[in-house]
Amino acid sequence: MSDKCSCEQPLVPTVVEVVDIQDETPDVKSFYCRLSEGGVPFNVAPGQCAMVSYLPVGEGMFSCTWQEGQEYLQFAIKKVGLLTDELHAIEVGQKLGVRGPYGNGFPVEECKGKDMLFIAGGIGLAPLRSFIKYCFKHREDYGKITIVYGSRSYADLCFKEELFNEWPAIKDTEVYVTIDNPEEGWDGHVGFVPAYVEEINPNPQGVIAVTCGPPIMIKFVLQSLEKMGYSDDQVITTLEMRMKCGIGKCGRCNIGSEYICLDGPVFTLTQLKQLPQEW
Amino acid sequence: MKILSKDKVERVLDKLAESAEVFVPLSRANSSGFYSWKTRNPEKEQLMLETLNVYLSPKNVGFPQTEKMYSIIQSGTEAQIKETFEDSSPRIIFGLRACDARAIRCLDDVFLTRGYEDSFYKARRDNMVLIGQACYEPGPNCFCQAMGVDPLEPEVDIVIRDCGDKGYIWETKTPKGEELTTSISNLLEEKELKAPEAKAFQTQVDYEGVAEKLKGMFEHPIWEDLSSNCQNCGICTYVCPSCHCFDIQVKSWGEEGYRFRCWDSCMYGEYTAEAGGGNPRPTTKERFRNRFLHKLEFFSERYGYPLCTGCGRCIVACPTGINIVNIINEVKEASVDV
Amino acid sequence: MKEISKKVKEIASRLLSEGQVDVFLAWEKGNQDYLTRPLVVRSAEEAERIVFDEYSIHNLSNYLLKFRDGNEKVGLVVKGCDSRGVIRLLEDNQFSRDRLYIVGVCCPGMKDPLKAIKRNSGLLQNIPDDDKADKCSNCAYPNPLIYDELLGSEQEPNVKGERQAKIQEIENMSPDERYEFFRENFERCIRCYACRQACVACNCRVCIFDEMRPQWVGRENNETDNMMYHLVRAYHMAGRCVECGECERVCPVDIPLMLINSKLAKDANEFFGPYEAGIKYEEGSKPALSVYRLDDPDEGFM
Repeated sequence: MSDKCSCEQPLVPTVVEVVDIQDETPDVKSFYCRLSEGGVPFNVAPGQCAMVSYLPVGEGMFSCTWQEGQEYLQFAIKKVGLLTDELHAIEVGQKLGVRGPYGNGFPVEECKGKDMLFIAGGIGLAPLRSFIKYCFKHREDYGKITIVYGSRSYADLCFKEELFNEWPAIKDTEVYVTIDNPEEGWDGHVGFVPAYVEEINPNPQGVIAVTCGPPIMIKFVLQSLEKMGYSDDQVITTLEMRMKCGIGKCGRCNIGSEYICLDGPVFTLTQLKQLPQEW
Repeated sequence: MKILSKDKVERVLDKLAESAEVFVPLSRANSSGFYSWKTRNPEKEQLMLETLNVYLSPKNVGFPQTEKMYSIIQSGTEAQIKETFEDSSPRIIFGLRACDARAIRCLDDVFLTRGYEDSFYKARRDNMVLIGQACYEPGPNCFCQAMGVDPLEPEVDIVIRDCGDKGYIWETKTPKGEELTTSISNLLEEKELKAPEAKAFQTQVDYEGVAEKLKGMFEHPIWEDLSSNCQNCGICTYVCPSCHCFDIQVKSWGEEGYRFRCWDSCMYGEYTAEAGGGNPRPTTKERFRNRFLHKLEFFSERYGYPLCTGCGRCIVACPTGINIVNIINEVKEASVDV
Repeated sequence: MKEISKKVKEIASRLLSEGQVDVFLAWEKGNQDYLTRPLVVRSAEEAERIVFDEYSIHNLSNYLLKFRDGNEKVGLVVKGCDSRGVIRLLEDNQFSRDRLYIVGVCCPGMKDPLKAIKRNSGLLQNIPDDDKADKCSNCAYPNPLIYDELLGSEQEPNVKGERQAKIQEIENMSPDERYEFFRENFERCIRCYACRQACVACNCRVCIFDEMRPQWVGRENNETDNMMYHLVRAYHMAGRCVECGECERVCPVDIPLMLINSKLAKDANEFFGPYEAGIKYEEGSKPALSVYRLDDPDEGFM
């Protein structure tokens, strides 16, 4: 199955069933969806997105988690607005609409042979997690893997099982976790992600850095990476903007002449610097 | 050559309307636009083939302001897409000018290329025939030529050329046009007429190099100044023949509902407002800049020609006198630090 | 008018160079005689661009909304109707009086640049030769009601009564006829929101039509949603509209919005008045419908 939406009606969703819902944090849930007859309507590549629609309410673009075998369409969704409020209220068995996959995804091939540095904040770990999982699946293709992740509080850290148990156990992998403010019971690092990255100070030699998180975090992380000697070609980020169509027609998610939904959401810093600074 | 005499125009429209919905330039209330020939009220509404153009463009024929996309049913956890509404009924636009024909080409490029074909637009467009009218006398706000449009050669299936009392030269350009011409050939005459001399443009503007120059002007102070009297209404985007931004929304009641799309405007704050509360284009300046850069730079970079077709409608309609010709001229003159 | 134009320029230049204001709102000339357009001036040099002429029709009080969140001092030129807009903003607590320098101009009636450009456009038929603005033939307050400096000589009100007659005609219609009248007019609406954007009384930070949680009014361009848009807006204007007529003037499809606004102004006055919006500024004063009195009548509007 191709990882590009090739359907004849790209704006019309396919109905899938929610087969599992997991609480990740107080305001993030993971949704696992399949066709009622089994299987998935499309495969995704790491970093691609899909439009999820709760039919009577609306549609929203979410990063679709890559996993080996593509058994489910999996989305980690944070409760921030009208649609996501509704999604957080549904139960297993609910039928939803999905269309996609959209966007370019991460350059997983081009990164082979490199050390990887993943820097995420909050729900921004969701898209990076696809790439991280992909790297672990193809562990021998990638060098050292460093993951730096932060959230407002311990409760807000997503994917704790992977973060604290699974990933650190994988060979040649380092996971650094931080929270914004000290709290009882937390003996890990406290502070913002960009500062923590500088503290860890990973050598840029042969590394590709991938970052995603709140826009303000991304901005500071990019500055930190530059300070640490990372060149623009070594830095990859994913952007988000309000989207409606997902296929580069409806207009709103443009940055300069590029549409985030179609030409992104993944850009190297070199590419971003050629675009107007409106992200 | 084939000639359509003026006294036969209405008969041709009647004939065409037997097998298609024919959109013609009409005066309606205090406005004017492309409306279905069948819905014309002959007592109140006049065919406007001999004026410069009409106030509302034919954009909505292929891309209606509101278009129902598909119906839905949701009952408890069950949900389904009931029906999709691609509309492939035949349509003809009669008498559109080169600027508006170019705008349809813009829409074609947006909706039908770069990886995805929009099935709703495609259904309409595949079944649409364009009969364009050559323009020999540019109006006070016309500048299509500067934007790379030839007013004498609209990009359409059939071109008509007004030769005064003697009638219209009828030139068939495409196989689609050929088929249509055959269907009304008994209403056309065979004789020789000379097309009129083209008059000069009254509005001078030099777009040459503007797209390239704008690349370095995103942060230029000019945007603050140019946008300072914009009130952020959506008139310019809605009268524009090539503005194509849309929103997708849903209407639902009980267990039923439908998704529709409707024109949206980059002039509205809500357009880029994010669910979490942020907005990358928070004020007039950013919205205004995005609109004009899209028209004059971004679209060019993506598709190779500008999104402004020089029809001049936004100049006429803007309540605060914002004029895209002035903007092009100001950009031309602006000094840019290298 | 030339004299006034010169004086406005002088005042703007003086206020800006003395630092009494940071911004001055006036008009400049576009590339046609009839194209006068709003201008935001920030320096004495820029003030050279200022004109005031018979096409200076725009209600500049609306532009104050662009500055409401800052600390900048703003000078602006107001005609009678525009001055009511300033009072609207003061009464709605959107601006403080001490940040304003108001140059009032007694207004003899304006011409409408939109009429002129439309007539010359080749896109529309039957636009009358006279550029006189329709709204100016229904002017009860040609002279500014709030100002720091007043220019020009006092003008007489000019209420021709056509609008009032039309309102009466609609009042006398049967409910079905009235519905049909408005349906026909609202059917033309293209939902460009120019009426809202040009309106000084539309100063909500988040307009109900942009509110998505919940979404009160649908975005479809059809009878139901268009009607909903206009009725909701009309009710929000009741007793708040300062009758500057800008909404109707800027409407690209000629919807007679002032018939509705004036009718509601009239009802607000009759039921909850005596009250006329924006004719007198007093600290703490509120529009009639923002105040509850035990003897308020129970009858609804319209």
